[in-house]
Amino acid sequence: MSTDTITSRPAGLAARERIYKYVLFACACASILVTLGIVGLLARDAITFFTAVNPIAFLTGTEFNLSRGEFGVLPLLTGTLLVTIISAAVALPIGVAAAVYLSEYASDRMRSVLKPALEILAGIPTVVYGIFALVYVTPFLRVFGLPLNTFNVLSASLMVGIMIIPMVSSLSEDAMSAVPDSLREAAYGVGATKYEVSTGVVIPAAVSGIFSSFILALSRAIGETMIVAVAMGSRSRLFDFSEPLANLWRGNQPMTAAMVQINGADSVSGVGFQSMFAIGLTLFVITFLMNLASNRIAARYREEYN
Amino acid sequence: MATPGREIDWAGETGQVSRLRGVAFELACLAAVGVALVSVLVLLLYVATDALRPFSADPGWHLVFFLTLVVPTLGTAVYFYRLEEPAGEVAYATTGLPVVGILFAAALAVVLDIELVTALELFALLVATLVAAGIVVVHGRYRPGAALERLGVVVAAPVVTVFGVPPVEVIRALNGVLSLIGLPAVSGARLPSLRELILLSPVAPLEWILVIVSVTIPVAGALGLFVARRRENRRDGLAFVGGAVAATLLAPVAGPLLGIGSTGWVLAVTFCLLPPAVYVEGVVRRNEGVHGLAFPLVLVGGILLGAVLVRQFGFAPPDSWLDWQFLTSAHSRTPEDAGFYPPIVGSIMLLIVVAASAFPVGVGAAIYLEEYAPASGLSGKFVELVEINIGNLAGVPSVVYGLLGLALFIRAINMPSGAVIVGGLAVGLLILPIVIISAQEALRAVPDSHREAAYGMGATRWQVTRSVVLPQAIPGILTGTILAVGRAIGETAPLLMIGAAASVRLAPNSFSDQLPAMPRQIFAWSSNLEPEIRHGVLAAGVVTLLVVLLIMNGTAILIRNKYQREL
Repeated sequence: MSTDTITSRPAGLAARERIYKYVLFACACASILVTLGIVGLLARDAITFFTAVNPIAFLTGTEFNLSRGEFGVLPLLTGTLLVTIISAAVALPIGVAAAVYLSEYASDRMRSVLKPALEILAGIPTVVYGIFALVYVTPFLRVFGLPLNTFNVLSASLMVGIMIIPMVSSLSEDAMSAVPDSLREAAYGVGATKYEVSTGVVIPAAVSGIFSSFILALSRAIGETMIVAVAMGSRSRLFDFSEPLANLWRGNQPMTAAMVQINGADSVSGVGFQSMFAIGLTLFVITFLMNLASNRIAARYREEYN
Repeated sequence: MATPGREIDWAGETGQVSRLRGVAFELACLAAVGVALVSVLVLLLYVATDALRPFSADPGWHLVFFLTLVVPTLGTAVYFYRLEEPAGEVAYATTGLPVVGILFAAALAVVLDIELVTALELFALLVATLVAAGIVVVHGRYRPGAALERLGVVVAAPVVTVFGVPPVEVIRALNGVLSLIGLPAVSGARLPSLRELILLSPVAPLEWILVIVSVTIPVAGALGLFVARRRENRRDGLAFVGGAVAATLLAPVAGPLLGIGSTGWVLAVTFCLLPPAVYVEGVVRRNEGVHGLAFPLVLVGGILLGAVLVRQFGFAPPDSWLDWQFLTSAHSRTPEDAGFYPPIVGSIMLLIVVAASAFPVGVGAAIYLEEYAPASGLSGKFVELVEINIGNLAGVPSVVYGLLGLALFIRAINMPSGAVIVGGLAVGLLILPIVIISAQEALRAVPDSHREAAYGMGATRWQVTRSVVLPQAIPGILTGTILAVGRAIGETAPLLMIGAAASVRLAPNSFSDQLPAMPRQIFAWSSNLEPEIRHGVLAAGVVTLLVVLLIMNGTAILIRNKYQREL
């Protein structure tokens, strides 16, 4: 009996092992089911929507107005684009510069303080950033004489930018830390200064990682909902080329905020409600593709140095 | 030198290197970090000022607390930071542990208060679980070889003791399906579980005694086991449990005296006193950073001294928006009476659903991907696809998960719109990829040599996972989960999509009730233009939410720091 348990495995053990394996496998498949669920369920209502509204009218229409039954996605797309561009202009340079400081200049002690601090910034809920934009940033910017409405594109986009800085900086720093020290040492060996090493060696070597962080951050800005829902108002406007700057002072409505508004509206026609799923599917496809691209690019730099 | 006309682009050529450009670049990079941090810090200060209104207090009040609280704590903090780092960590932990404990105790007190779970139900559940565990242990003792049979026992024992045969939930689900296809409901005879039998008992002890039995003793028991193992002395562990129970037995005297009630005292002792006691014992025994223990004393002493002095001199405290009334009442049209209680309760319940749904599935998936998944062949390709998919899902906007929740839970399977359970499941799906990724990282950090040693002794894959890998990875998994759940509390967009109501007057007391949630209420307040709401109630709500998040993230970082040192 006792020798048995040592030399051979108890009966039924193999079967039990198999059951555990299947249960764990099922857990892993859950993520696939989530993706399929998103695509399937969103597509179902989106298809019903597109039978009622011509897809070409949806993609090229210049007005989005629920009560009048206008479902042109262009104003929402330009709204999203506007937010993304302004927030990128804020977040990308600041994020990369912060990453350079953390990876190349900061002492260990400094880094042990700054990194958790940036992490905590990333943990602030986006609805709080939205309230910052609405209650504090807009009045602050008005002090400088900017003709801002209560709800405006500028302060919301600035806040989206600040929100995505930690993402850019932490991912870019990962990429810079992955650059082997031998490259830095070789540069120092031929007499380069720290500045030259940072800008001439580390950043070019980490460029694919930095680029991948950019894409991820932009995808985050595109999908950001609460900041724009709180601080940008609820009127969609097509970009006005006659007065480019005026677009920033007024409110606007990107895709995500439009979805929130449709869902919260009291009386929405069936088609209007389904348009929410069409917009959601568009958003999902855009962000999913961007994330995929970002992962591809990031995988390349990992291969190079590992 | 041979070609003087041509400049060679080499820093050494001129014999002098310009430092200006380098310094300017370094400063610019530092400024970037500063802009990111300072801008948000300033905004946080603004919102805190609006919520707390410190300037409405007497200057004397500020002076007193500055002298009794700020100067001594800041002084000790600077001393620890510059001269005695281990003591600083001890100070951080001994201050943080009771705070986290208060949060736990308050959450459980709320759960008992709204009768989501009564003390008797907790007790019955505990007894039934213990009996089930006992059956499994006894079976293992008598039939150690029957592994498959034991799996059956592991499933069957809790069904008999906790759920009953057949479980009510199964009958309810069956009847739901039957009613959908138009058949009459079944209601056959069933064998009630041990848990249900206890609930039927006509007499029950007082609530606080039940809480001691079903909360304090398990917590103290676990900590006592830890103490006994660390000191290699069973007596010490038992003494710890005895002391803990003795402290809780003071409840009928101490509870009313402090105004928190007997149950409140029991919970406070269990969560705010016991874990710090174990930590302090460890610090004293290791004799490492003992000076840090002074920090909480300085802090509490400063608050008490300041309170006494302020009352003595009659200085008025600030008239904050964020006060006891705010935390304990519901939303009201008049800003002075508006409160945050239902959203706080709703967020706690949301947290329970999120953790219960995302944690098991997420950790299970991570274990499969790290420990089981084949690396090659067709199934290897599939696993690769799963991994890429998880990475992408982590980047899908939260509003899309809200749409998924709406389409799946409300429109496809007819769950009530805006219910706690729907919100929890939608947010659970949202954090699932984050839980999987962080659990994978924790599992990957366990050295392969440990696994190989276990395999070398003939352990099966599951045995290796359960007894070797998981115990080492648990702190990392917990850290990741707490951070993910912290994100879940702040998520608003999915709640909007599943139709969570703007303001709910009554705190929910079941999972199918309407969900009020902290961020949802904040969003509702944000559209109100009244200055008392915008610069008062709204700010108080934001600060409450941020404090909860800060405590959760602080806990996660604390666990991670301790764990990284050990690995």
